[in-house]
Amino acid sequence: MKSKLKKHAMLISIIICMIIIYLCTLMGVASISFGEANKILLNQIFHIDLGMENISVGATAIIWNVRLPRIILAFVTGGALALCGAAYQGIFKNPMADPYILGVSSGAALGATIGIILKFSSSFLGLNGIAILAFIGSFSTILIVYNISRVGRKVPVATLLLSGIAIGQTLSALISLFMIFNQNEMSQIIFWTMGSLNGKGWNQVIAVLPYVILGCVIMLTSVRELDIMLLGEDTANQLGVDTERLKKKILFSSSLITAAVVSVTGIIGFVGLVVPHIVRMVTGPKHRVLVPFSLLFGGVFLILCDTLARTVTAQEIPVGIITAAFGGPFFVYLLRKRKKGGV
Amino acid sequence: MQRLMPKIMLNFKDVVAAYGETNVLQGFSATICQGEFVGLIGPNGTGKSTLLKCLTGLLPVKSGEIILEEKNNTDYSQRERAQLVAVVPQSFDIDYDFTVEDIVLMGRNPYLSYRVKESRKDYDLVTEAMRVTKTLTFRKRYYNNLSGGEKQRVIIARAIAQDPDIIFLDEPTSALDIHHQIEVMELIRNLNLNKSMTVVAVLHDINLASRYCNRLILMKDGQVVVDGTPKEVITEDNLKKVYDMKMFIQENKLFEKPEVIPLRVIKETETYRSLRIHVICGGNKASQVLEELEAMGHHVTAGVVNQGSDDWTICDVLGIPMVEASPFTSISLEKQEENLALMADCDFILISDLPFGHGNVNNLTGLENLSGSIYFHKNCRNNDFTEGKLTKCLSEIKSKKKLVEIDDHQEFLEIIKKQTHIEDNKALFEDKK
Repeated sequence: MKSKLKKHAMLISIIICMIIIYLCTLMGVASISFGEANKILLNQIFHIDLGMENISVGATAIIWNVRLPRIILAFVTGGALALCGAAYQGIFKNPMADPYILGVSSGAALGATIGIILKFSSSFLGLNGIAILAFIGSFSTILIVYNISRVGRKVPVATLLLSGIAIGQTLSALISLFMIFNQNEMSQIIFWTMGSLNGKGWNQVIAVLPYVILGCVIMLTSVRELDIMLLGEDTANQLGVDTERLKKKILFSSSLITAAVVSVTGIIGFVGLVVPHIVRMVTGPKHRVLVPFSLLFGGVFLILCDTLARTVTAQEIPVGIITAAFGGPFFVYLLRKRKKGGV
Repeated sequence: MQRLMPKIMLNFKDVVAAYGETNVLQGFSATICQGEFVGLIGPNGTGKSTLLKCLTGLLPVKSGEIILEEKNNTDYSQRERAQLVAVVPQSFDIDYDFTVEDIVLMGRNPYLSYRVKESRKDYDLVTEAMRVTKTLTFRKRYYNNLSGGEKQRVIIARAIAQDPDIIFLDEPTSALDIHHQIEVMELIRNLNLNKSMTVVAVLHDINLASRYCNRLILMKDGQVVVDGTPKEVITEDNLKKVYDMKMFIQENKLFEKPEVIPLRVIKETETYRSLRIHVICGGNKASQVLEELEAMGHHVTAGVVNQGSDDWTICDVLGIPMVEASPFTSISLEKQEENLALMADCDFILISDLPFGHGNVNNLTGLENLSGSIYFHKNCRNNDFTEGKLTKCLSEIKSKKKLVEIDDHQEFLEIIKKQTHIEDNKALFEDKK
């Protein structure tokens, strides 16, 4: 019975995810009835017409162009962050690692800050200039951090983490400086850094999705090597893992995913740190299970947080606040409950 | 039938390697053939583990080269190398909950990729590796919950699952109790014998190395000092050169291998005032008292000592001046006088616990004329085969001077310590003031 459950755990989880996506689509501030929402979804996805004449164009737009893309973006973002967190915690052998640890978030924030200050409003492939600047900012930060810590062909993990933190702090200082001299844009910048899925549509989903899929594929093909990496770099080498190549592969793909996601949504914290830990407590440390389940759980977690963010009060709360507010205490609870050395 | 030349598995040619500026390996050369069980011994910091790092490609070689199975080591990828060489490190902990089976299965990694999944054959090899190492019974348990010996066996199972030609062990027994030390070494020897696996083991325990390896390489300062069979390598001269301490080597009769008994490193010469002490010995019971007196920094002499006795060996190892005589012969007048001459300037003379017979009782003649205080071990009386001669000698001494009788050697040592302890005497001196 138990093994059967284990075998189908992935399938069951996917079904649960779908149900959650569906339920969250029905929830929102605008009063659209249960029946109406269902009709709109059936019509849009399966082209089944169950009498659309009573439904306003506005309601269709809210369900199809506002809520659904936002929920899917939440799923992709949350899943991507959790996935990168899991991979980073593996290659850095450090439980404190999250997708932002190498300064990706600060780089993105600096790019966005510059975009906001310069009122950079031109758009490209349906993305606004701020997102593009953020993407450039975050990806160049990774390249700088990587090159600072590189010693010949090798990248020592400790140096990488430290230079990531150092660069991140420097960039944050720059952002603060920019804000002081541009006080009019201050609130907009702060809102951006708190992360939000508000006002995001299909364009953003389409812009982010290729990176996330590419990253997922790369990571899923490295699961065995990531496991071995947990035994330490030297041991991994002796077991035939080209650790430097693996590190580069993971760094590159994680940074790409994170940069893409952050530039669209802003800095949504805690998902990448907490979700892999929670999943690991259930699935164990093997990446073959950990990686896909982190993706699913991270996605669902962010959908739920975002649903709260947009429904709890009339004034929308940035979702970064919700993730931190729920993720933090929940994590502490789990740590206390399972007071065991290894997380 | 013509004997085939054994295949050369590993050839270190003048290898120099460094961490930063300091060279750790300074021209290490050795050739290791298939089926050998080679022990690398030597003090800490001589580059044994560095050698492992060079071999596994973790540390680049500064000059020289390593030939691994007819190809330069640098030409292998990590993956190819891991198919040839497996490493067993000191048992280590993992921060994550992997089961024993997970860990052993990782040994198959060099043969797998994202395209090649674990096959039936991989699982069979893993099961076989766990069977050989007797880890099969707890394959579903978490590695972290195992004892030290069990962990080490799991790591060896992983190395076996790697299906290598060479196993390199880095101090595989240093964290284990004797039961598990022997268990691990036997396991490795069986691999060596049954599967003709080439084994290179860094070992700190010279006696284990001597017992199990068929060849030893003694290293110092990143170079080979001696390379040969345990009998050739484990000699007092070689070890003294390398370890900078006195050692006592005897043949272990059970295994017919040399065995090392390390003597002390920290001497107490600072604590004690040096005296001239002569020990009359020659049997097998005075070794300890000789060694302790020497360690306290006293100027010790001994006589007349039978060659080949335990007392003789310890004097020989420690370099204690002595008057020697061939065993089973009476002490000649010449030797007797030599012995007396040695004792002439002594502060103390100890007649240690030894059997007296006609051959050696004349050790005691003439003692009454010496200036040093004389101590006598009472137990000598129980091993008196002199038909009264010993008693006569003793009463002669007693007639002229004081003869202190002691119950055991420890008592003598206590007396000496009391008299020569620098701290004590200082305190005494200050009291008087």
